Amino acid sequence: MPTTSRLALVLAASVVVAAGCGSDTNDSLPPSPTASASTSVAPSTAPPPGTGAGTTIGDEVGLPVIEALDVPADYPTIQAAVDEAGPGDLVLIAPGVYRESVTVQTDDLTIRGVERETVILDGDFTLDNGIFVSADGVAVENMTARNYTVNGFYWTEVEGYRGSYLTAIRNGDYGVYAFDSTKGQFDNSYASGSPDAGFYIGQCFPCDAVLDNVIAEHNGLGYSGTNAGGNLVIANSVFRNNRVGVVPNSGSYELCYPQRDNVIVGNLVYGNNQGDTPAIDVARLAQGNGILTAGGVDNVIERNRVYDHDRTGIALVPFPEEEARDDEPSQDEWDTTCAEQRTQPLADELPSLLLWDSWDNRVVGNDVSGSGLADIAVASVSTDLETLRNCFGDNVHDVSAPAELESLAPCDGAEPTEANWKAGTLDVGSWLAEQETMPESVDYQEAPLPLPPQLDNMPDAATAPPHPATDVPMEIDVDAIEIPERP
Amino acid sequence: MSRGFAAGAVVVLGACAGPTSASPPAAPDAIHLGPQGNVGQFVVQCAPSHAGFDDPILYPGQPGASHLHQFFGNPDIDAMSTSEDADRSTTSCDQRLDTASYWAPALLDASGDVVEPIDVVAYYRAAVGVDPASVVPYPQGLKMVAGDHRAVDPQPTTLVGWSCAPGRARSEAPPACTPRQELHMWVTFPDCWDGERDDSEDHRAHVGYSEEGACPPSHPVAIPQLDLAVRYPPIAADEVAGLLLASGDLTTAHADFWNLWDEAKLRREVDVCIHGDVVCTLGPG
Repeated sequence: MPTTSRLALVLAASVVVAAGCGSDTNDSLPPSPTASASTSVAPSTAPPPGTGAGTTIGDEVGLPVIEALDVPADYPTIQAAVDEAGPGDLVLIAPGVYRESVTVQTDDLTIRGVERETVILDGDFTLDNGIFVSADGVAVENMTARNYTVNGFYWTEVEGYRGSYLTAIRNGDYGVYAFDSTKGQFDNSYASGSPDAGFYIGQCFPCDAVLDNVIAEHNGLGYSGTNAGGNLVIANSVFRNNRVGVVPNSGSYELCYPQRDNVIVGNLVYGNNQGDTPAIDVARLAQGNGILTAGGVDNVIERNRVYDHDRTGIALVPFPEEEARDDEPSQDEWDTTCAEQRTQPLADELPSLLLWDSWDNRVVGNDVSGSGLADIAVASVSTDLETLRNCFGDNVHDVSAPAELESLAPCDGAEPTEANWKAGTLDVGSWLAEQETMPESVDYQEAPLPLPPQLDNMPDAATAPPHPATDVPMEIDVDAIEIPERP
Repeated sequence: MSRGFAAGAVVVLGACAGPTSASPPAAPDAIHLGPQGNVGQFVVQCAPSHAGFDDPILYPGQPGASHLHQFFGNPDIDAMSTSEDADRSTTSCDQRLDTASYWAPALLDASGDVVEPIDVVAYYRAAVGVDPASVVPYPQGLKMVAGDHRAVDPQPTTLVGWSCAPGRARSEAPPACTPRQELHMWVTFPDCWDGERDDSEDHRAHVGYSEEGACPPSHPVAIPQLDLAVRYPPIAADEVAGLLLASGDLTTAHADFWNLWDEAKLRREVDVCIHGDVVCTLGPG
């Protein structure tokens, strides 16, 4: 059993909030020593009163007492507390700047900051991940990770994960990231300033995951999901001022291809033309698009508000993969799970170029405007568009590519009322050449970033009981989600 | 689709001794191919740090005695460096605690000009078939050479080879890559260690390759297998034939590794990523 302090519900909450709010805690704290090697260095400030060991007022007043491992009151570093914790425990972190890279290998932990803005993990552009999780059921809540060379928050090969009320700023690959993981949820979180995706879920089918109420801005990609789908819902979120907004995509450089079955609903997607962000090559290739399936299959894109994009608002396009690692699964293999696919042999002969087309997607009820090339579009460089079985309906839009797209490819079995797929097509092949004309990537350490908007703190963070990621993803009533209003 | 080999680990026959041989084979009998994401790994990318006519393994204490090497990682390594005195405060690697040194002969074009590399990508994994739980971190100061700088015939492609992307089968000569694909020179390092020495007289005898997933009795200790890709900008098809290495013909491809990693960080990476069989990082696609 770990050593735990006993954190009272009521009094601790009031004291912690008083200690953490109303000032820029980051600036007011004396700088912590820079972490060296793998040693973790705790903030040099004393913990706020009320969170230390022995604070047992809860039971004295008849309220339940929360067992928590308090950082830094009882453990000098987050890592020390995590290492001591057992499944089901709560690691509770007081305001401070923590210059450490935390590795979590214990299942069912809850790791929580008492205040989102002032519990800061800082990688100093030296440490790799803010919090790295390779254990099942771990929830990370209510804190900020910035300046890591790789990721802010990262789960890999887990069943059960949750990131809630997280802020990830200026991290070298991804902000909030789950790879090869299932049964997960990112909610009420914010990511900016990563050259790859602010939020990324990769290599899972079925993923059984939800992104809800997140904001991604000034990243290379707002959301990216390579080969990720199967009960994966991206809802009620804002993707703005990235190079490109929301990009489900396929490729054989990771497992579980092709990308399948996302529901992208009720999101506000605008201004994803931002040229002064850090950006991986693909972000430059896809710059100026709102929602872009790049070789995506069987996705539903509905009731999103999408506006102000240099190229397209919502487009279904191919992803050209050079030097593929396998060949494309045939359509009768598209129900293959990730677990099944990883045991299958690779192709004998590999194509030098694999063109992942976008098939069977449904684009309905979106409000799309202000697009430079087309508000809604479907494109290919190798396949007749009418054979891709994508459908479009009830979208508020102006220009489509091809022209009259909703009449060419109506949904729900309706008969097409147009047949000319050649008029007004989107020359997506030219994007490859245009990539070189897009603004260069800006170093993630130096890219100009906006101040984050006012972000909610987790309710009752100092007093809520531990909540491991054993009940994820959250239930989400997709049908009840409406098109969001403009801000 | 037509499939023939198990995902993530394509077995490629190399020029190896049989499984009953007392000494380790001279090349891997298999390498990891296919998509990333199926095998535990950690990956480091290191920009070029410096170049010089030094070889701290082959010609220690003899500045200028070597052909031209391109170094990556620790920027302070030269012929005079020692494990004890090496400055470990800086690195050109994205993993800032990887202060090891990697080097390879410079690639030269037909005019004899150096082709500047983009970086090296160092993939650390358990070798194909090796029990990940048996792998131990490299001892501090371990020096390894992979590939034969005097080879006149093509070496096994499991040992050294060329490709336009990771995860693809390697060829003996550089292929013509598209304008969007980097040229990769691959060198696969030994994954078995004698458990005693950090170097040896010929700089090779203290390490070797596993066979059919097992380290030989002479080198019983499994260590991470380093698959090192030196990446170059795309090279036009009509220029590929003129390429040379500073060590000679392209058959002389080789690379060197000197373990100067932060010891605790390396131990953590081996523990979490290899023992745990977890994809801690993905290399560039």
